Order: sequence, then C-alpha cells, then structure tokens
Amino acid sequence: MVLMSKRLGTFALVGDMSIFGVRALSRAFIPPFELAYLTEQLEEIGARSLPLIAAAGIALGIVMTLHTRSTLVSFGAEAWAPTLQAVSFFNEIGPLVAALLISGRVGAGIGAELANMRATEQIDAVEVMSIDSSKFLVSTRILACIISLPLLTIFMDFAGLVGGFISEHLATHISLRLYINRAFADLSWASFIAPTLKTCVFGFIIGTVSCYYGFTIDEGSAGVRRAATSSVVLSSLLVILSDVCLVKLIYFFFPSSAL
Amino acid sequence: MTPQNPAVEFKNVSKSFGQGQILNDVSFQVLQGETLCILGRSGTGKSVTLKLMIGLLKPDTGNVLIGSEDIGGMNERGLSHIRREIGFLFQGAALFDSFTVGENLSLPIHRFEPKKSAPEIKKEVEDMLQQVGLEQDIDKLPGELSGGMKKRAGLARALVLNPKLLLVDEPSSGLDRLTASEIDDLLLRVKTERHTTMVIVTHDIHGAREMADKVAVLDRGCLIGFGTFEELQLSQNELVRALISEY
Repeated sequence: MVLMSKRLGTFALVGDMSIFGVRALSRAFIPPFELAYLTEQLEEIGARSLPLIAAAGIALGIVMTLHTRSTLVSFGAEAWAPTLQAVSFFNEIGPLVAALLISGRVGAGIGAELANMRATEQIDAVEVMSIDSSKFLVSTRILACIISLPLLTIFMDFAGLVGGFISEHLATHISLRLYINRAFADLSWASFIAPTLKTCVFGFIIGTVSCYYGFTIDEGSAGVRRAATSSVVLSSLLVILSDVCLVKLIYFFFPSSAL
Repeated sequence: MTPQNPAVEFKNVSKSFGQGQILNDVSFQVLQGETLCILGRSGTGKSVTLKLMIGLLKPDTGNVLIGSEDIGGMNERGLSHIRREIGFLFQGAALFDSFTVGENLSLPIHRFEPKKSAPEIKKEVEDMLQQVGLEQDIDKLPGELSGGMKKRAGLARALVLNPKLLLVDEPSSGLDRLTASEIDDLLLRVKTERHTTMVIVTHDIHGAREMADKVAVLDRGCLIGFGTFEELQLSQNELVRALISEY
C-alpha cells in the first residue's frame, strides 16, 4: 500500500512538473517578451557549457575508438571505425551524453539558483515589481534549455568525431579527408536530424525539472541543496527514460534510421 | 487625497497557513505621510502583514485597502497599478544576484516606465544611488557589497520610482548598531524630505522611536496595541508595556 502510494506520488510529481513546464513555456510567447533575459540564459546554459561538451566529446570519441578498434581489427573491418563512430555519436551518444552533462551542470545550477532566490526573497522582489516571476525566471530558462540542447548536441557529435580521428590517426595515420568520407558515408539526414531534435525534449525535461524544484522548494539553505540534488537526479533519470520512448518513436517515423 | 486620508487600512484581516493562524482579526489604519512601526516577537505575523499590503499574500478574511482600493481580490493587472506606487525594502535587500547594482535599480523603471530612454533611466539610477551614497558602486554585483551597502542599494531600488508608500522589513537586521543607524537616518530623510508614508517592521526600538508616528504591537497574530509610543506606555495591556520596555 505504501509502495503504491509512493508510486502514485511520483506520477503526481511528474504530472505537476509537466503542467508547470507547459504553462511556463506557453507564457514565453505572450508579450512582453523577455528577450534580454533569454539571451542571458542562452549564454549561461549554452555558451558556457561549450568547453565541457567539447572536452567530454573529444575524450569520449578517443575512448570509443580505442574500445571498438580492437574488435573491428579482429573482424578485418577496421575501415568501418569512422562510420561506426559517426553513427553511434549522431544517433545516441551525442544526444544522450550532452543531455546528461547539461543535466549535471545546468540542472543543478538552475535548481540551486532559483531555490536561493526563493530563500532570499528575490522571487518576491520580482513579483513586487509586477513582473510575472514564472515567465521571467522559469520560461526563459526552459526555453534556453530547449534551444541550447540541440546546438550543444551537434557540437558534441563533432567533438566525438574529432576525438575519434585523433585516435585513429595515431593508430593508422588515416588522413582527415578519408576519415570524414568514411564517417559520413552511411549517415543519412534522418539519422542526424531526428536524434538531434529529440534533445529539445531533453532540454524541456532538464529545464522544467530544475526550475520546478528551484521555484517550489522554500526551505532556506537546506532547500538549495535539496533542489540542486533532486534536479540532477530526476532530470537525468527522466532524460534516460524518455530516450527509450523517443528512440522507438524515431524508428517508427524513420525506419531507415534503425541500426 | 488630503493628508489625513488613510494610505493603508486593514479591516478585520485574518490569515493562516495550514493549521497556524498567523493574523487574527487585525484592524488598523496608516494615514497619508505617517510612519507606522510594527513591533512584536518573531513569528507574530509582522512580515506577513507587509506582504498582505503589497498583494504577495491574500487575506483569508477581511479587507486590505491601499488608498481606497481593496487589493484582496485584485487581479495581477490591478495589483500592478497599485504596486507602481509602493516600494518594498526586503529584510535581506533581495537584490538580484546576477544583476549589477545599476541593473537592479533600472529594472523597475524599465517595467513601469517602458517609454523612458536609456540615458534617462541611467540618470535616474545614478541620482538615486548618489542619495544613498552608492554612486561609486553602480557596476558592482550584490555579492561584492557589504550588508549595509546591500540594504542601501535595496532602499534605492525601493525608492527609485518615487513611491507614495514604502514598506520596510527589518531594516536593521544583521547590521551592527552604527550601520543600522545609517539606514535609520536614510529612512528618516525619506520621511522628512519626501513625506512618504512608511510601514516599518522592526525589532529595533531605538530606530522605531526616532521614526514612528504610530506603533502597532502584534502578539500571536493579534493586534494588542496601536497608538503613539506615549499612548502605548500607558496601555492597560501588560504585554504591550512589557514589549515596549523590553525593546
């Protein structure tokens, strides 16, 4: 019975968050538009995440090539290494890892920042100025996550290829031109566009979950910690779970992109 | 409005959160140009009273009137109109961490007076900061300011639209005596030079004596005393006299 009510509680929480996120997002399109603040959030969430995404992408690209190379060599298929690298990064590794990294960096940041604003009455101060606090603080962050994630994913994909090329070049002295030709030989637009666009959903999840915790938890400094932790844990989990559904959807609409 | 019209009026206001009754049938008036200090122990509903006055909270029963308008059932548009005339200095100043001091002050001007040009806004912000002695700190972030400077910046933001009513939540909390008296001096200047109606929640009896025309004493959500200091010292209620002397 307790387990049942806990499960229902989790569903209710996710339902609450969804309503919170959709409402906030719909407010973003009602004037006055918070373009200046949205730009600030795009810089914070998007531009400032680039070094993390680049470093993680290159490292992951190198590691993946190191792992797959020996197996491919044993089958005499080492020429497929660039293709495998590109297909895996563009289809799954790029979108998912970028989302998880952003969930860690940005989700925790948004949760902590908004919870701190709540604790220090900054959200009340926004409302005292007759500014719609949800639109000003929540809509802009969710929208910035939705816009940033696909762009960061593309960056992650190419950083992974750079890492893969470095690793391959050191092992086989493959030229850049040949690597690129092989990498993109079997890559269709469907296997690039759909997985990249699915990260808009990841962005919505990360923005909504972290804003929800930050905006609704009002427990002083303890609340700040709880908002940051809960934001990362739940948004990461929901990103992975939603990925299962989104992959099935992509395969349904673009059967050719199935591996 | 004549100077004797009420700027703020509470009529039988009650407010509770869950099982806890925070305010219980509270009624009082603050006249135009008057300064009311609200005294009482922690957790007696003082800050809730301020938040009711600006519409951040709604009363469960009773009426909160700003001028002649009941803000209890007002929508956001109506509240926006009322809030244009009210400044609020929060306990911790509540400056936006990611904005500079100048941006903190220009935000309310942008919102309430969108037709003003950038140079006009800049001039108003600089003038306001000069009045609180922070003209050199316009480009600093709140994190770079001391507690007293934050309070002064918060006061500047509350006053930048030249409000008719200023609500102040614990102006001296977290400050040393000297800094607290600097904030009190600034508030006194607001009272004497701008004739702004003020409602100040405070624990600082020294500051309250300097500024208050009237004092309201709250205890466990009830208004147990209301009047001038002299009147309250003669109150029949022992707790009121004790609270006044305790401070």
